[in-house]
Amino acid sequence: MEVTQFQLDALREIGNIGSGNAATALSTLLQRRIDMSVPKVWAVPFEQVSDIVGQLDMPQAVIYVKVEGEASGKAVFFFPVESAEIVVHALFGTSEPMDLYTDEMAQSALKEVGNILVSSFLVALTQFSGIPLQPSVPALAVDMIGAILDAIFLEEGTLDDTVLFIDTQLSGIPKIEGQFIFLPDEGSLKKLLGAMGL
Amino acid sequence: MSVIITVGMADYKTARSPDLLLTAGLGSCIGICIHDPFLKVGGMAHIMLPMASGSLGGNPAKYADTAMALLMKEIASMGANKSRLRAKIAGGAQMFSFPGKPQILKIGDRNAEAVELELKKYGIPLLIADIGGSFGRTIHFDVATGDLRIRTINHGEKVV
Repeated sequence: MEVTQFQLDALREIGNIGSGNAATALSTLLQRRIDMSVPKVWAVPFEQVSDIVGQLDMPQAVIYVKVEGEASGKAVFFFPVESAEIVVHALFGTSEPMDLYTDEMAQSALKEVGNILVSSFLVALTQFSGIPLQPSVPALAVDMIGAILDAIFLEEGTLDDTVLFIDTQLSGIPKIEGQFIFLPDEGSLKKLLGAMGL
Repeated sequence: MSVIITVGMADYKTARSPDLLLTAGLGSCIGICIHDPFLKVGGMAHIMLPMASGSLGGNPAKYADTAMALLMKEIASMGANKSRLRAKIAGGAQMFSFPGKPQILKIGDRNAEAVELELKKYGIPLLIADIGGSFGRTIHFDVATGDLRIRTINHGEKVV
């Protein structure tokens, strides 16, 4: 569907509220200050996704949650591996090295972080739109960001030439960087905008 | 001095020796590498889905069938002889598995099948198929030697 500038602004506002909730949840969980960028709303050809996520073969920890309900979509939270390690250390209150690729405890903790972030994002979205939305069980992959994102985009075996998503950068002190993106499914965008009278 | 030519998502490029072709972060997508060892020319396509199935518009380099047609045309225009062409492919991983979901629609496997079918259609021998698994791959292809270097984050690196 064609998206107007006005609708993009509305989506940015949704992103602002949702991501604010998510950042607050992360801050409470880690007992650290978390800053959030002003969300960007992108409607770009998927070939340009690398401009948004950076180098496609950079290893990142990616938590993927499907959003189910009348306005379904995909929520993805990703951190560089070093940041993910800091998050896990903060949660366990330890500085012992952990291998995120194999350590099940660390992986489970990261999934839970993703779960909390996405759930708080969805609470805001539901309050705003009146459309009830539920997160699926989170899935985690630690690997090349490009490889993971292509799998998420292509999961249904189709891909529109333009992907639309809300993108927020989170950063914590010290040295936590993360990025949260929400991709509404095509029909969902219409429903979300409709619920807001747009 | 050899140059590394980067192939993006849903993109294809050709090269002449000594240049290398690179595509980064293949997940369920597939990197198709084809070369003529005598002329030392070749090409790489980074496809995302199996079949264009008549869908009009959009980027043809996204699909195995339409990308192959474009790549073959360009390789032929560089003077490559069809009977000398050789292929290697990599990618087609399954990055996530959700418990309880059916596995029949795995897009990585469908991509691999479609690519193999296309290669058969053009009569190009497939020398190496490094596909499947649940990890990403970055690949470098040397069009002179046909060497394909496959790098992963946690599953080693090899040249095939």
